[in-house]
Amino acid sequence: MFSGVRFRALRALLSDPMGALGLILVLIFVAMALFAPWVAPADPIKLNVMEKFQPPSLAHLAGTDQLGRDLLSRIVFGARTALSIALTSVGLAGLGGLILGMIAGFGPRWLDAVLVLMFDSMSSLPMIMFALAVITIVGPGTGTLILVVVLVSIPAYARLIRAQTLSLAGADFIVAERAMGASSARILFRHLLPNVVGPLVILLSMDVPIVIMLEAGLSYLNLGVRPPTPSWGNILYDGYTSIRAAPYMVLIAGLPLVLSTLGFTFLGEGLRDALDPKLRRGAAR
Amino acid sequence: MTALLSIRDVSVDLSAGGWFGGTAPLNILAGVTLEIVPGETLGLVGESGSGKTTLARAVLGLQPISGGRVRFDGRDLIQPADFRAIRSRTALMFQDATASLSPRMTVGEAVTEPFAIHGVAVNNHRDKAAELLVEVGLPPEMAARYPHELSGGQARRVGVARALALKPALVIADEPTAGLDVSVQAEILNLMADLKDKHGLSYLIITHNLALVRHVADRIAVLYLGRLVETGPTRAIFADPRHPYTRSLTAAEPKPDPRKRRTDLAIRGEIPSILRRPNGCEFHTRCPLARDICRTQPPALKDLDHGRAARCHFAENTTEGGRHELEY
Repeated sequence: MFSGVRFRALRALLSDPMGALGLILVLIFVAMALFAPWVAPADPIKLNVMEKFQPPSLAHLAGTDQLGRDLLSRIVFGARTALSIALTSVGLAGLGGLILGMIAGFGPRWLDAVLVLMFDSMSSLPMIMFALAVITIVGPGTGTLILVVVLVSIPAYARLIRAQTLSLAGADFIVAERAMGASSARILFRHLLPNVVGPLVILLSMDVPIVIMLEAGLSYLNLGVRPPTPSWGNILYDGYTSIRAAPYMVLIAGLPLVLSTLGFTFLGEGLRDALDPKLRRGAAR
Repeated sequence: MTALLSIRDVSVDLSAGGWFGGTAPLNILAGVTLEIVPGETLGLVGESGSGKTTLARAVLGLQPISGGRVRFDGRDLIQPADFRAIRSRTALMFQDATASLSPRMTVGEAVTEPFAIHGVAVNNHRDKAAELLVEVGLPPEMAARYPHELSGGQARRVGVARALALKPALVIADEPTAGLDVSVQAEILNLMADLKDKHGLSYLIITHNLALVRHVADRIAVLYLGRLVETGPTRAIFADPRHPYTRSLTAAEPKPDPRKRRTDLAIRGEIPSILRRPNGCEFHTRCPLARDICRTQPPALKDLDHGRAARCHFAENTTEGGRHELEY
């Protein structure tokens, strides 16, 4: 359902040039990931050693790598890898943070104290160190990456939701619900939930590029996605090792990384401005 | 007649405590006793910080009480289940009507929320919402609006509509005219009076404005620092207030002839902090009649004639002119 509030937020987002640009970039990457088999001109993992290190040409728009694989196809399928990992892990972390944060903010005080202690000890660990530790124990791979991101990001999301829940739990409209006899479940799902998810959505969209960067970074270190699965980090690593033979490879692998990061960041900032009525320009009713 | 709502000796202590016991508890309400009979309107008057909102929440079990007893329609309210059982027969109207509406719910959803909560079958929510809105003098199209799109008076009417949805026996209205223009204030009060006649409601109207309850309340209770200082029928309270605090409140009311205004009765200074309740009579720090006994002996709530009661050492002889007898 398109409620009035949300529809107005969408209009506000589109009227902001940065927000609109962000939305367009994100949509391009999402389309690229969803329709990769149709968008990509060639098979991204098919070797063709005869055609290795070909600079961009009509046959290979982005050139080929050290094994003769079509780079454009690898970038397109890399988008699928990057987005599926980023969206899955950020989505799972967001869901976990939402549930834990609402429990901490609305539940009994002892449970809140226990959860906050857990969030604090979790976020005192440096992300990369923690990631390397988990990879050492579990072994590298897509699942490990998602696990690391979920574990590391839950505390930040949960803390945001907890603060929102706490500040709303004493609000008049929640007290009014209690005075009318609403159950805790009704208050949580019908009244608190819709009012706390807004800021979380913004934070999630701004965290997607961080996860894309982490995936690329760990894949670059050969600790992330296993070859031959195309990943922007793997392509970047291949480009780095053969930078003399094919200097264009680093550039071509870096470009989507930069553009997707910008896209999600602009979208997040645009959403933040569009959803916060106080920041919305020219919104005087 | 048996009381619809009976509050006996209710106290509320808030502890600002932390992990290690914290500070001594704050005594917000100290032994308040009140009754409301069916069809009656009780005006509860007090300054900010006198505990009037706390009392409203304590009555509805939204604020745990530390002593005393609340009875509704002959039933003691102790367990959460007791309060849940009466939720459909009580309603609370908030001081800030806009803030009391869920910001992402339309007006139509808000006024039919009580039906959803209590599982009351409604044939058509849209018709029911329209009916409720019309009853409080709003156009039915208002159902599609969001709370932030309403004016103060409209939000207030929506609050009334929601409070009346289940035809409750008791409506507790916390500052029902706060933040409204004088003309809109009168409209809301008239609306509340009409609905009372129509549905036979009882009201507990909480306000700092004595003049407001003069025309709507059958009885008045005056609260000072969480303690009842005077109760009685509205007419008696205005004709002959027995507590100097009530007297200064009635004197503070604007008069058509400003020369008749009694400036000598004006209370001085601020309400004392409940963190440091004064010794003796808690009003002595601001009382124009204060004498030695007031600084040491706390007065009891004395029953007087005409169903009145006042908490003052001189309640019997501080009628108009009584001040001279006291050689003040």
